Amino acid sequence: MRRLLATHEACLAALLAALVLAAWQADPAFVSGRVQAGLLPQIGETALLAVPMTLIVITGGIDLSVGSAMALASVLFGLGFRSGWPVEACVAVALAAGLLCGALNGWFVTRFRVHPLIVTLGTMSAFRGLAEGISAARPVSGFPETFLGIGQGWAAIGLFVALCAAGSAVLARHALGRQIYGIGLGEAAARASGWNVDRLKASLYAFSGLTAGVAGVLFTARRNTAKADVGAGLELEVVTAVVLGGTSIFGGRGTLIGTALGLAVLHEVRQFVGWRWSNDVLNLVVVGALLIGAVTLNGVISRRPAGSVEGG
Amino acid sequence: MEAKRLLAAATAALLLIGGCGPKEGGSAPAGGPQSAKGRITICLLPKQKGIPYFTSCAEGAQEAAKELDVELIYDGPTDGSPEKAAAMVEKWALQGVDAICVSPNDPNVLAPAMKAARQKGVKVITWDADAPSDAREVFVNQATAEQIGTALVDTLVKDMGGKDVKGEVAIITATATAANQNDWIVHIKERLKAYPNLRLGSVVPSNEDQKLAFQAAQDLIKASPDLKGILAISSTAFPGAAEGIKQAGKAGQVQVTGLSTPNDMRAYVKDGTVKSVVLWNTKDLGYLTVQVAAQLARGAFKGTDATIKAGRLGDKKVVGDNVLLGDILVFTKDNIDQFHF
Amino acid sequence: MRLRGVPGPALVLALLCALATAINPVFLSPRNLTDMLLAAAPTLIAACGLMLVIASGEIDISIGSLMGLCAAVAGTLSSPDRLGLPPSVAVAATLALGLGVGLFNGVLVSLVRVPSIIVTLGMLSVLKGANELLMSGKWITRLPDGLRVWGTGSLLGVPVPIAVCGAVVALAWILANRTAWGRRVFAVGSNADSARLAGISVERTKLAAFGLAGLLVAVATLVSVPRLSVVDSGVGVGFELLVVTCVVVGGVSIRGGTGTILGVVIGVLLLSSVRTVLIFLQLGESSLYWERAIQGALILAAVMGDAAGRRKEARA
Repeated sequence: MRRLLATHEACLAALLAALVLAAWQADPAFVSGRVQAGLLPQIGETALLAVPMTLIVITGGIDLSVGSAMALASVLFGLGFRSGWPVEACVAVALAAGLLCGALNGWFVTRFRVHPLIVTLGTMSAFRGLAEGISAARPVSGFPETFLGIGQGWAAIGLFVALCAAGSAVLARHALGRQIYGIGLGEAAARASGWNVDRLKASLYAFSGLTAGVAGVLFTARRNTAKADVGAGLELEVVTAVVLGGTSIFGGRGTLIGTALGLAVLHEVRQFVGWRWSNDVLNLVVVGALLIGAVTLNGVISRRPAGSVEGG
Repeated sequence: MEAKRLLAAATAALLLIGGCGPKEGGSAPAGGPQSAKGRITICLLPKQKGIPYFTSCAEGAQEAAKELDVELIYDGPTDGSPEKAAAMVEKWALQGVDAICVSPNDPNVLAPAMKAARQKGVKVITWDADAPSDAREVFVNQATAEQIGTALVDTLVKDMGGKDVKGEVAIITATATAANQNDWIVHIKERLKAYPNLRLGSVVPSNEDQKLAFQAAQDLIKASPDLKGILAISSTAFPGAAEGIKQAGKAGQVQVTGLSTPNDMRAYVKDGTVKSVVLWNTKDLGYLTVQVAAQLARGAFKGTDATIKAGRLGDKKVVGDNVLLGDILVFTKDNIDQFHF
Repeated sequence: MRLRGVPGPALVLALLCALATAINPVFLSPRNLTDMLLAAAPTLIAACGLMLVIASGEIDISIGSLMGLCAAVAGTLSSPDRLGLPPSVAVAATLALGLGVGLFNGVLVSLVRVPSIIVTLGMLSVLKGANELLMSGKWITRLPDGLRVWGTGSLLGVPVPIAVCGAVVALAWILANRTAWGRRVFAVGSNADSARLAGISVERTKLAAFGLAGLLVAVATLVSVPRLSVVDSGVGVGFELLVVTCVVVGGVSIRGGTGTILGVVIGVLLLSSVRTVLIFLQLGESSLYWERAIQGALILAAVMGDAAGRRKEARA
């Protein structure tokens, strides 16, 4: 199993190198440090969200509400700011909101034993709907320069790297990591082993929500806007990156290094297509095609019987 | 085995992208703003790509680009997201284009990116909608929010039969995140005060969904028996609302006007459901925008000049830092066939 | 016919209607009821198809983008401003497109074993991109009467969309309750492995469900888009969320294997009426911004109700 995983990551790395080479051949300016550094912040929020998503998908679940939780966090931040609260308090509220969103998802998944797909489809609507209602769909801007500075920097990327490193260590060495893979490979067996499956799953969803809150705040800082359409469609990007990275949607398999490489491939392809043929329509097609291509390839290679909506 | 397949995919990717070599003159211009090539690159950024209003502006822009021999890149977010637009501005600045013309859907989101681009030496102007003055050199202005709001109300009142008409007026808007619509609504409410016989009823969003505008018009007619007129202030809401009124059998009893292109509303004007369509010459707006951008980039025009020679449009006035296009147009049965956009 | 999950939504629907009527009796007028049915028709048609997909244990969230592309194709082929072909050609091509895309999804899901959430999540984007490319920045105006009649015409006094919807619902009910294929769909959704052991071709069953769902989306497009005379590029955005919500609220379990057409009908009527009820209640413009939150709350309530119901059954 380990050998297989290592191979997938190595292939991804090779693919990435090939893409960079091809891009350099087509337009050297694109691969220059200056340009790459300028384009990197755009994948920041997606990268952050991909960490908990990877862990959740390994357990056989999914969280489609991350973009909406981001929006709710962003809107609450803006609301607090407009009411005159200090920035720190607003950030705290936003993070708390994200955490609550995740906790709600976790509660539905574990207490009611409802499939995460339908729970998060529902909360995807509910959270964004809440954001729209609260903000009356009006955006808030005009944040202080010091706050906006967080977004311009590399906070999101830095945080992603830290989480990735920590997460990888947990997955590879810690008992929690074994449990996460175990749940994905067979939840019934995991329970029988005496693990507190519900608590772990709930924590993962809460973690996802908290991360969405952070992403919401960082996005608001980067783009100077707190509103209800933040993060719309982001779940597609995040899932694409995770799947590209070799994490199986059926659960039980995947690494954070793979996700990081998947993010890099997604980012480079998207940015290069936009650089070369400035046409927003291609953006839509590229991400979707990448996702379908990646899973199809994955499905063709590693045939797994009786695939259905439920993983384990 | 798995490794082989993925490596095959990698090779395919390499061939695909590598195949389009730099010889194919893509849209990625090398070199900085003062490009030695002589052919300058101008980027035209609409609020939302794919809606006819902006597509027609782009046609005028293409015309100017051909005349002036500049390379024109027309691109914008298909969902109108200002964050995506900001990302495009950043990208173009990194590519070292000569000028970027921005119609900001949310000036607060776009201003930082525009300022950063200006710092890199790119000429940045706004058109169709403005941004903070330190984020751009000039604003190519077709009409102020006040002019638009006033024109909409005055036109509707005229269509309804004059200022003596008593009744309710409703607004069907897009989504409330578009800064434009909110600006107009402020001025519409202001202008309505001049007509004490009229009462403003509901403001219903249609989320750029024609069917919702259709439904909203029908629901409004049913819920408010006193309804005499509707202002449909987005180019998707207007045809939807008109159709809703028509199918409810209330054409002529409930008036509707709004902003849209003559092409999209022509059928309704011809059959009498709609008496007036408010807009301006969008092709000229696009044309003028590219003229201004090109002349700025070439140094032939400075933002402080009093007039600009804008090709086939002749001399255009510059008031403050606004380059003025001209007047609002109202299209009616009498003149709509003269316009094809 | 088990009625789990139906009484709740039916009650809420009745309550909302009562409330709206109390504020403004026009709500119950034949005119308003017809309008509401006309607005609900495309959702119900698509929901019948989606219900069978979900009952088979899968999901399809690309139906909104498919609707947009169908609209673009129908308009491009039939409008004199574009290709100006006879409306019948446009209708046939649109139906073929819906069926084709549905089958494509089905092939990836059943034969290549890609999870349906992933396939349709990707297709959502791809189809939307194709739609934008086809529209190329202009809307399609001047839809010919031969096409518009599908949205605005009448059949023996009944508006075409409502007539078509009625036929589809009846057909779907027959398929679900009276055919062998219907039984197979529910069997596969309940437990694919047992179904396979019982000799059912899981692949073919699911493939047919996806194909039918795609076809019904095309039908839904044909009876809704021509009600307007202009095809814009935003057709179908968010439609999949609405339809999934209706189906889940209507008692169809996402686990597969259960669901009734009656439940779907109630679910659609409930969700379609939310917007109109909000306007009639005249709570002010801000109330309409809560529409999505209400939809989300309804789906979560349905989910809780479904889970609670299952618990009761498990204990019984």
